[in-house]
Amino acid sequence: MNEPIIEVRGLVNRFGHQVVHDHLDLSVRRDEILGLVGGSGSGKSVLMRSILGLHPYNEGEITVMDQRIRYGEAGPSTCWGVLFQGGALLSNLTVQENVELPIALHSDMPLQTRHELASLKLIMVGLPLSAADKYPSELSGGMRKRVALARALAMEPRILFLDEPTAGLDPIAATEFDELITYLHDNLDLTILMITHDVDSLFNTCNRIAVLVDQQVRVGTAEEIIGDTHPWIREYFGAPRSKRAWLAKQASEQERRRG
Amino acid sequence: MNRAREAAAHRGEMANPYLSTERLPESLVVRIHGPWLFEHVSELEEASRMVREAADRHVEFRCDDLEEIDIAGAWVLYDRAQQLRETGLTSEFKGFDAAHFKFLQHIIDAAAIREHAHDLDARRPAHPIRAALVGIGRIVTRGVEDTGQVTRWLGEGLRLPTRMMLRETITQLYQAGVQAIPVVMMISFLIGIVLAYQGASQLQRLGAQVFVVDMVSIAVVREMGALLAAIMVAGRSGSAFAASLGTMKLNEEVDAMQVMGLNPTRMLVLPRIFALVIALPALTLFANAAGLAGGALITIGALDVSTLQFVERVSASTDMNDFLAGLIKTPVFAFLIAAVGTLRGMQVRRSAEELGLKTTEAVVLSIVLIICADAFFTTVYTRIGF
Repeated sequence: MNEPIIEVRGLVNRFGHQVVHDHLDLSVRRDEILGLVGGSGSGKSVLMRSILGLHPYNEGEITVMDQRIRYGEAGPSTCWGVLFQGGALLSNLTVQENVELPIALHSDMPLQTRHELASLKLIMVGLPLSAADKYPSELSGGMRKRVALARALAMEPRILFLDEPTAGLDPIAATEFDELITYLHDNLDLTILMITHDVDSLFNTCNRIAVLVDQQVRVGTAEEIIGDTHPWIREYFGAPRSKRAWLAKQASEQERRRG
Repeated sequence: MNRAREAAAHRGEMANPYLSTERLPESLVVRIHGPWLFEHVSELEEASRMVREAADRHVEFRCDDLEEIDIAGAWVLYDRAQQLRETGLTSEFKGFDAAHFKFLQHIIDAAAIREHAHDLDARRPAHPIRAALVGIGRIVTRGVEDTGQVTRWLGEGLRLPTRMMLRETITQLYQAGVQAIPVVMMISFLIGIVLAYQGASQLQRLGAQVFVVDMVSIAVVREMGALLAAIMVAGRSGSAFAASLGTMKLNEEVDAMQVMGLNPTRMLVLPRIFALVIALPALTLFANAAGLAGGALITIGALDVSTLQFVERVSASTDMNDFLAGLIKTPVFAFLIAAVGTLRGMQVRRSAEELGLKTTEAVVLSIVLIICADAFFTTVYTRIGF
């Protein structure tokens, strides 16, 4: 299925004289994982916030699941889940309460069922139920991200937005998180839009990559993007760490084919 | 499948899920209709409860008419069928590839989840008496801990101050003292006016209007000046201390000072306490003056008391003892405000949320302590006839 689930047309975002997006077009296909990269200040977060209706974009048209997105209006909040960079867990609620919050807001299901579904989500993201009574401040960074992911998944969303999901995690936790995202994507009919600076997770989890350059976006598979001649893209993917990540990815794929 | 659902949801004509049952000799056939999704969980629960009540033989779930299912729907279906099994009945699913079930089976210990959810439910009505006792116990232990901490800080203050400490003290004197003068004077002036009017309306009936001056001057000098200044400073500086020290803790500035060999207690806490202990008595003097001025404005301006009479009544009613009675309290108030503010600030450890809570706590607690201390002073003064 290749039809777009998120459609951005002619998006313009300006801050004073500085143009961040100049008639940018982007479509996210159903069931794909699209990785969004770009230099600092290239407007990755602004793009995501525009799609989420959190940013008053200047021009253009954004639709998510056939619904027009306008700043300040409630979007399809039961169809999407967002993992904010810092997790954005409510610090005065326990882990369990954080995950139950969206369920409580949108459903009148029995309390017992609500507890069960929230616990189910915690287990799905690989958290022990013993963590349920803890407060966010008592958790490690990786666990906090998992709780935030469980909360994002609480409403059975169709689209998942991830803002730098592996930032601030150690390499082991980051790899685990990548695997978790791939696993959930494989099992849950999810479309995922993910901002990331982590080239490993870019190559390992994403089906396609969108690069924000020159106020526009270039989209393609990893091979296509690496073959792009744009100077910034060449510099980004030509950097030693990107190369290493790409080689590692290819090596692991070969190994999988052999084994 | 997805598209059909979204299109239907868009038109607001989403069909509801339901179960239909058919009793065969060997089995109860339950047909599952419609979408089994998150938004229908309440209906799903209701339907599966009815099936559980009706079940008295082998239950066969037929999923041919099942339009769509997600994890929430699958959980309810799966787990409630499991519960059926626990009552000794058998059940099976037909006509459904049940990818979601496999997913669930793969990751889930259903009993553990149910138990956990049940625990959460059971915990909700906590024993109120026990909760109250635990709460009181916590307050007492925290009070003891806090007092201990402040005492330790004061121990640090016994050493000679450094030049950097003095500089910080002067900064704080300016911020907490000098900058507070206008607002303290303003509210004190207004309270002077209020007291004069209130007193006048009572004393007028007795023809004792001139004693309004006595009342205002004693009230302001003994009580209101010190109290108003203290409460204002608690709101202004108590919160500022907690918020700024709390932010410094969150930014790891306090830790940075520590590793550079600067003692945070001496650099941050003691200067603030010291500055406030000096500033508040001074502010009280300003408050007294402004309160009397407010009283004077009304008594002279509106109540036919001459300026000479006013001065006469003030000096006749209010002496040095009254003045000192008000002033002696203020260093104590100042100490309470500064200690509580810095203590709560230094207790911030983790989150912005905590910073807000601690700041609020600092203001509320210091005002409560000020009033308690004031009540104590007044009681003692009355007993010893001061």
